Amino acid sequence: MPDGLEHRGRERALALLAERFGPRFSRAPAVRAQHGRGEAWHPAQPPDAVVWCARTEEVAAVVTVCAEHRVPVVPFGAGTSLEGQLCCVDGGVSVDLASMNRVLEINAADLDVAVEAGVTRTQLNSDLRDQGLFFPIDPGADATLGGMAATRASGTNAVRYGTMRDNVLGVTAVMPDGRVARFGGRARKSAAGYDLTRLLVGSEGTLGVVTELRLQVHGIPEAIAAAVCGFASLEGAVTTAIETVQAGVPVARVELLDELQMRACIAFSELEGYAAAPTLFFEFHGTPAAVAEQAATVGGLAAANGGGAFAWATLAEERNRLWRARHDVYYAALALRPGAQAIATDVCVPISTLAEVVSATRRDIAASGLIAPVVGHVGDGNFHLQLLVDPADPDEMRRAEALHAAMVDRALAVGGTCTGEHGVGIGKLAKVAKEHPTAIPYWRALKRALDPDGIMNPGKIFAAD
Amino acid sequence: MAVIAPTDEAGVAAAVRAAHADDRALELEGGGSRRGFGRPLQTADTLSLAGLGGIELYEPGELVIRARAGTPLTEVEAALAAEGQMLPFEPPDYRRLLGNDGAAPTIGGLVAANLSGPARIARGALRDSLIGVRFVDGEGRIQRSGGRVMKNVTGLDLVKLVAGAHGTLGALTEVTFKVLPRPEAELTLAVPGLDPARAGAAMTGALATPLEVAAAAHLPAELAARSTVPEVAGAGTALTLLRLESFADFIGGRVARLAEHLGADSGALHLEAGASRAVWGEIRDVTLLAEPRDRAVWKISTAPTAGTALFESLTDELDGEGYLDWSGGLVWLAVPPHQDDAGSATIREALAALGGHATLVRAPATLRAAIDVFEPPTRQVMALTRRVKDAFDPKRILNPGRMYAGV
Repeated sequence: MPDGLEHRGRERALALLAERFGPRFSRAPAVRAQHGRGEAWHPAQPPDAVVWCARTEEVAAVVTVCAEHRVPVVPFGAGTSLEGQLCCVDGGVSVDLASMNRVLEINAADLDVAVEAGVTRTQLNSDLRDQGLFFPIDPGADATLGGMAATRASGTNAVRYGTMRDNVLGVTAVMPDGRVARFGGRARKSAAGYDLTRLLVGSEGTLGVVTELRLQVHGIPEAIAAAVCGFASLEGAVTTAIETVQAGVPVARVELLDELQMRACIAFSELEGYAAAPTLFFEFHGTPAAVAEQAATVGGLAAANGGGAFAWATLAEERNRLWRARHDVYYAALALRPGAQAIATDVCVPISTLAEVVSATRRDIAASGLIAPVVGHVGDGNFHLQLLVDPADPDEMRRAEALHAAMVDRALAVGGTCTGEHGVGIGKLAKVAKEHPTAIPYWRALKRALDPDGIMNPGKIFAAD
Repeated sequence: MAVIAPTDEAGVAAAVRAAHADDRALELEGGGSRRGFGRPLQTADTLSLAGLGGIELYEPGELVIRARAGTPLTEVEAALAAEGQMLPFEPPDYRRLLGNDGAAPTIGGLVAANLSGPARIARGALRDSLIGVRFVDGEGRIQRSGGRVMKNVTGLDLVKLVAGAHGTLGALTEVTFKVLPRPEAELTLAVPGLDPARAGAAMTGALATPLEVAAAAHLPAELAARSTVPEVAGAGTALTLLRLESFADFIGGRVARLAEHLGADSGALHLEAGASRAVWGEIRDVTLLAEPRDRAVWKISTAPTAGTALFESLTDELDGEGYLDWSGGLVWLAVPPHQDDAGSATIREALAALGGHATLVRAPATLRAAIDVFEPPTRQVMALTRRVKDAFDPKRILNPGRMYAGV
């Protein structure tokens, strides 16, 4: 808790914001609790107040007041992060950007768009669709694009289209002194100074509040076909995915679900005609001929690895239903154990080690007695266990933590990482400190250089000094 | 003026620590192939990284390669080619352009400059393929960031920060890239006779098709005439080039579809693999603008649809010559020596309206010292740039002033 002097400064700042924002300022406990957590198990750590901002200048006004009184600022989009990025470890002001939801520009010929930070990925895609364009980055939740940039999100399309790191051309951000800075732009970035755009992408709100973004978008392919293929063994499925990428097949999506996750999805999303077996979901983009080429190549690899026939979904509504089911794996898994909460794990390993790492992890799951379905963006070497736990049961939490730790150790041993796409937040502080012991002094030095008073989302990515 | 040439990372760290202790600035050098690029330095000593050679890790099945920073680019590319793989971003070689023919470009120097070739529009920039680095900061501390996996969101992205920092944040010692299988086949369609505006529309139109055009450039007639590729030089007119890549069995179908998209009357020439590779090499390495040597050469990035008009107005106003790459988003422009500031004021003013940035890639040292080589950032971004430099190199030991004065 803030000491006396700091406490008075904080109250003064909140009074100023209350006056300026009126009904768009709240200290209601329920509102604060809702803004102090994401979707995973981390208990809420509420802010002192929530302010809803509608424009960049309003965010600048909030940060200016907070900077003057050294009050923490924590940006809030859709509230779907998974590692406690939204937990207000030292209270402060949660800046809710959901009403900054205007798509500002669509430049179809240049394949770029400008959006406010509170636009969600599905909102952007529905605006883009009638221009024949789409934005490929698709974390499971319907996150805001500002939040996706802040956590450097990725998703099922990363194997072909990259992650937020590759698709953000520029950002407008309110910096810790309350000033508005613009980085990057419409040009394909080459040599205009330090890449501060990509320093902000993935900084989890610790360096500034992203309020607007310029994004690269893509043309909707002429032909899209999705296919589902069940396998006799998990190893066969993983091997097929790896061989697909190694062969250079430009597959758009290749996603692994183990038999438990598949069972959860069949029940939760009411999928019909699929078996609860280790399964790959594929999607192919291109001309009709290219899609046929890719499908033939991958079909051959699957058959050689114990895969069954492809079940095709070529109609848009069938495909959407399938990918909706894939995006809902988190909720489907939670439904396997009503009342449980989830610890999301997120290792990424070299693809040549993936089959071995997944198999070893599955042996660990069996030994742990926990319920933990496996789902993976296997084309990138990234996979998740969702550990279903009762946070009130200390023994279960210990077993879950041991399983997670073993999984991370195994990933690090083969040159992998503890987080491929969810970020660090507060949930992975210790694991990242172990993975990058020498980097933390630098991150701190950069943080001090850009945010000397440490007001921007404090306590995330690395522990404060 | 001494040249310090360590052979390992510990030696690099020791050299930087010694320089830091004595307040002596260091100019970093790899193979010397881009000597003369950036603002000229006046440092006491040179720290050569060319002694840090060798590929440290290459697992073709993992699609990843890691090499020490001084490894010649040719060695990296040969190792990849032997396994049918490649660096995705089509690395350029500016030796001819910069007159450093004897030097051997290193992989670390390439990263420091973040240089990408024509395939950038399809496969991303160098920094998009760079997944891990090790470097020595301005206080002599060894630092690593990223790793060897495809996706990694552990903390602040220092990998992207040091790529393109021109050695002002750290002396790179090791770099790791994700790589791609090399396409089995390539073919370029060359549409004759388009003016820049129509060429721009043809390029963005082709990129909007689902045919996965891998590169798109436009050579005006006088540039095409200078090509060493007979079909290009002999066309006698401007050529708009569209490159397709695919598996051998499928390239024919792609070519037919693109030809159909361009229209039966486009008269597009087919440049088969050898000619295609050769002309894209010339576009990538800017050799068509290497002579005469007294001209300044600019690399100008803007939005693709803005590039063609910018190109026309600048060549006209500055009596310049050049071509378009990256579907119009990249303008290469050579400016004759009678322009006092190499056209800097005109170029920067035009860009202020359109958005984008210009880099003076080749010019005499006196000019590179007198005018901004890199696009001057806004005051606020400059202030942030200085603070980032403070965090990595507070005493300004590494390449001080290479990009901006005081950084």
